[in-house]
Amino acid sequence: MWRIYRTLFVAEFQQAAQYRIQSLLWLLFAVIRPVIFLAAWAAAANAQGGRIADYTVGDFAAYYVCLSLVSQLARSWDAYDFEFEVRQGKLAPKLLRPLHPLHYAVVANLVYKATTLPVLLPVLVLISLTFQAHFLTQPWHVALFVPSVLLAAALQFMFGWFVAAFAFWTTRIHAIMHLYDRLVFLFAGQIAPLSLLPGPLAALSYVLPFGYMLWAPTEILRGGLAIEQALIVMAVQTAWLVVSWIAFVVVWRLGLRQFSAVGA
Amino acid sequence: MRYLRLLALFAQTELQFAMEYRANLVLDLFEEVIIVVSSLVAVLVLFSRTGVVNGWTEQEMIVLLGVYYVIQGAQAVIFEMSFERFMEHVRLGTLDFILIKPVNSQFVVSARHVQVPQLGQLLLGLVLVGAGVREAGTALGMLELVEFVVALVCGLSLVYCLLLVLSTLAFWFVRVENLLAIFWSFVDAGRFPVDIYPGWLRVTLSTVVPIGIAVTVPAQAITGRLDALGLLSILLGTVVVWVFASWFWRLGLRNYTGASA
Amino acid sequence: MPRSAAGRERALHSARVSSPLGPPIHVRDLSKIFRVHEREEGMLATLRSLFARRFREVVAVQDVSFEIGEGEIVGFLGPNGAGKTTTLKMLSGLLFPTRGEVRVLGRVPWKREAELLSAITLVMGNRSQLIWDIPAADSLRVLQEIFQLPEQRYRRSLGKLVDLLDLEPLLHKPVRNLSLGERMKVEFAAALIHEPRVLFLDEPTIGLDVSMQVRIRRFVADYNRRTGATILLTSHYMDDVVALCKRVIVIHHGHLLYDGALAGLAERMAPFKLIRVTLAEEVAASSLDAYGEPIEVLEGRITLRVPREDAPDRTARLVHDLGEHVLDLTLEDPPIEEVIDRVFSAAEVPVAAR
Repeated sequence: MWRIYRTLFVAEFQQAAQYRIQSLLWLLFAVIRPVIFLAAWAAAANAQGGRIADYTVGDFAAYYVCLSLVSQLARSWDAYDFEFEVRQGKLAPKLLRPLHPLHYAVVANLVYKATTLPVLLPVLVLISLTFQAHFLTQPWHVALFVPSVLLAAALQFMFGWFVAAFAFWTTRIHAIMHLYDRLVFLFAGQIAPLSLLPGPLAALSYVLPFGYMLWAPTEILRGGLAIEQALIVMAVQTAWLVVSWIAFVVVWRLGLRQFSAVGA
Repeated sequence: MRYLRLLALFAQTELQFAMEYRANLVLDLFEEVIIVVSSLVAVLVLFSRTGVVNGWTEQEMIVLLGVYYVIQGAQAVIFEMSFERFMEHVRLGTLDFILIKPVNSQFVVSARHVQVPQLGQLLLGLVLVGAGVREAGTALGMLELVEFVVALVCGLSLVYCLLLVLSTLAFWFVRVENLLAIFWSFVDAGRFPVDIYPGWLRVTLSTVVPIGIAVTVPAQAITGRLDALGLLSILLGTVVVWVFASWFWRLGLRNYTGASA
Repeated sequence: MPRSAAGRERALHSARVSSPLGPPIHVRDLSKIFRVHEREEGMLATLRSLFARRFREVVAVQDVSFEIGEGEIVGFLGPNGAGKTTTLKMLSGLLFPTRGEVRVLGRVPWKREAELLSAITLVMGNRSQLIWDIPAADSLRVLQEIFQLPEQRYRRSLGKLVDLLDLEPLLHKPVRNLSLGERMKVEFAAALIHEPRVLFLDEPTIGLDVSMQVRIRRFVADYNRRTGATILLTSHYMDDVVALCKRVIVIHHGHLLYDGALAGLAERMAPFKLIRVTLAEEVAASSLDAYGEPIEVLEGRITLRVPREDAPDRTARLVHDLGEHVLDLTLEDPPIEEVIDRVFSAAEVPVAAR
């Protein structure tokens, strides 16, 4: 299995070189969105005397810088390609190979992140300086961050594929994926740190999986969670990961049956 | 006028095609609603914690969000698809069919594929503007309304010119889509007033990617925050940019047809 | 005023577009030189090119001159890259020439005057001007508006095209649902809806099956007969040229090699003829050496190549010498493709003479 992955990695790196510009473009989007909302919250905080609840302007800056980093690290997009492949018939040949399509996806994903990170980090440093970001990070935060962001990445990956698997049933999967996108926009911590959401929305966001794709590792990295809170959050991440995995396997199996019945 | 009739015809043919896929049409409209509503939620969440952001009240922010979607909607209806197809034409060599017709090529390239369903965004935007203005309760006189319309037209023209310049680059660089994607990501910043952003971003959103002033100035106009100087500057700016964009388009065309420089 | 209805129609037609005395297409010393950027692979080369561009001059068309009269169908022959499409584009105003003079219907094409654009049309075989997703009828309505055709004139023009091309079932289906041949027919309709006086056809039958090719050829000939339109046609298929064009212009490496009757092309370019003889017994082809160069043996039929001037003489001798052994004998011009091939693969480019 390791040998197979190594081969896939090499091939994918070569491909990545060609898609350099596209990769950088996605990077830009991962940075601009957080900056937009950071600017909004900074202005709001300034209007409230420098802080809103637990967050000063510096705290917001730290939050959104971390969010940007987490967005890149935990990002999973290949589920979007899945629908395209189902339509184009590219899926069938991949299914015939002894390797589950997921493996290709994993490799492509990791290579993309490896190639874009060196560009992202200096930009984030710049933003931190511009907004005077204030990090509360302790060493154990960083230690917990690593498994947390991995969990978040796996969760995004798995849940994304769960949603995308519905492409087996409908050609209008793009609408479902778009809805998923907007739910992430609202509940994953992009428009605000979850604790700042109004009452019912906040409660909802702690229950839904979306927050655990972005907000959770973000807050851990920023140092905004105490150790017990961080552990609870990671437990929920794990739980949602398991649930997503089960849901995905079920839908995928059912979908495959439906797919081969209808015809590749 | 002849070009208005042509525009109506363009819209009609595209709409007929869209009507065939009624389910997709409904879904598209549904998506537009979701987009606008979720952006509205974001604004409301922001204002659940504060009464004012950089001098903008909640109602004024809602007005601005509305203007954002009016402009987004307008350009999605008229230009976006048309320019996309134009770049395909350049790549496939079918632009010649347009150039050989006795009609202004810039017009055809800009407006051939009018997407009527995208009006959803525009209408929702107007609803937001209306709601925000009503809630804000500021006196809305004829002057503000006129300023608003003028500023809106200027804002839309600025966005159009930006798209035109970018699309014209397709004459030289075949893969302009990437450049376009860069600008779309900046356009996202138009959802908030341009004055909340740090210097470099503010400047960018007021010049290179003028979505910032395109959205903020009309919002200021209708909420009574725009002074004569502001309106004059956007008017002047629009004229200058329009002249440049048209000239650049003609340059691109001449280059494409091999005219000696 | 001509007496026949068709003739009157044609006269009215030509009166519609003011063209001063002179042929519909007039070309003199036309040249087009492209400056192509030398671009190499790699990051460094791309960066370098941002500062100092290297150019290479490509001569696409050089000093080409010809005139095409009203109602002529002229074939433009030449291998890929010979300059055919470039010339066609200059004639239709899509390309600025480097040098030379062009007048189409008395006007300079690249000035793109509306009167001229409303009287010419371009058909490109492998490219479509129609919008794929909508029925052709809708595209035609847009064209009506673009050319500002009054309703009556539009209906009449469409009616004629529907008849000539059997368009009735095709107009209301989305274009992408049509077969390749059907698409070509609809493409022609879109190209001719405004009743142009000059037609530029660039590889119009490419990719079509044989029966469709025949139908298109018949249509073009018909159209020319009825309307007296001037047609300039480029094609790879000799059958197109042979069927439609009495006159051909041969372009090679941007130079005009030949301008004249198709029949004369063989005479000028390939100074030999073919004797195809079928004999009663099987003989070695080499035994016929004396009469001509054996180039093919196919099922008992031997083909000999003989110099043009010697052909009658050699034929006579063959018949005399072999007498009753000869079952069948024909004397032919070489196939036009071969002629063309010879022209294009010639190391030296023979200078054109009229």
